[in-house]
Amino acid sequence: MIIEILAAGIVVSACLAVFVDEAVYAVTALAGTFMMTSLLYAFDGAVFAAVFQFVLGVGTLAVLFLSGETLSEKTVSAKPSTKSLLVVVASGVLLSLPAVLLTVSSPKKTAYSGSFSQVLWQLRAADVIIQGLVVLTVALGIFIVLYEKKTRSGE
Amino acid sequence: MMDYVILSIALLIIGVYGLLTKRHLLKVFISVELIATAATLNFVMLTSPQNLGVGEAFLVLAFSTDTCVSAVILALLIYVSKKYGTADTGELVRRDKEYESHEEAA
Repeated sequence: MIIEILAAGIVVSACLAVFVDEAVYAVTALAGTFMMTSLLYAFDGAVFAAVFQFVLGVGTLAVLFLSGETLSEKTVSAKPSTKSLLVVVASGVLLSLPAVLLTVSSPKKTAYSGSFSQVLWQLRAADVIIQGLVVLTVALGIFIVLYEKKTRSGE
Repeated sequence: MMDYVILSIALLIIGVYGLLTKRHLLKVFISVELIATAATLNFVMLTSPQNLGVGEAFLVLAFSTDTCVSAVILALLIYVSKKYGTADTGELVRRDKEYESHEEAA
């Protein structure tokens, strides 16, 4: 029952994150989506996934709150009516109904097997490639910042 | 099992809808995050009932790329809103068209 409530909560908060116009409220709704997804993982027995989702969610939200705060004065619009909020929540509940009601059996075989650490070791080649991507993104960011600095000092 | 797939499809639909209809860059960012969450949900939920670690391992790898994507989008968001004073893509397109017509007139 808890998992069904969490599934419905994820869809409702995702709807709110997209449909609420105020930036800070939208980010708060996104926080709800992240936290409930993390709880869903934890209740399903995937503790590592829950911790990673939580940590990534908190990091993203910290940055989003800061940027949302700086942008919110330009995005303030008329306060949404209770009726429109109820419509958004109802559509979220409606969208989550199939996820709550429908079930079929799961596939049995996968190419990788074992615990989390064993699979990570089996996937170390992919891990190295993705680490390279992260390093490339950081290098690209530093290059852009330095280029901007150089351009500004040239002016 | 299928209920999780439907949950992820519902999240994907909401994310794609936001991506197509919302014009504010912060909303675009939120929509991309929702799509990424929908994708990563499948990794964990399709493997955790069989007690396999592969789903969680793929989730960690997916988070790495997701963080890179988030960083780039956020950097663009801040840059655009600082440079043009707005994060509305419709407004940016309108200004671009005005600039082009001004250039043609000149």
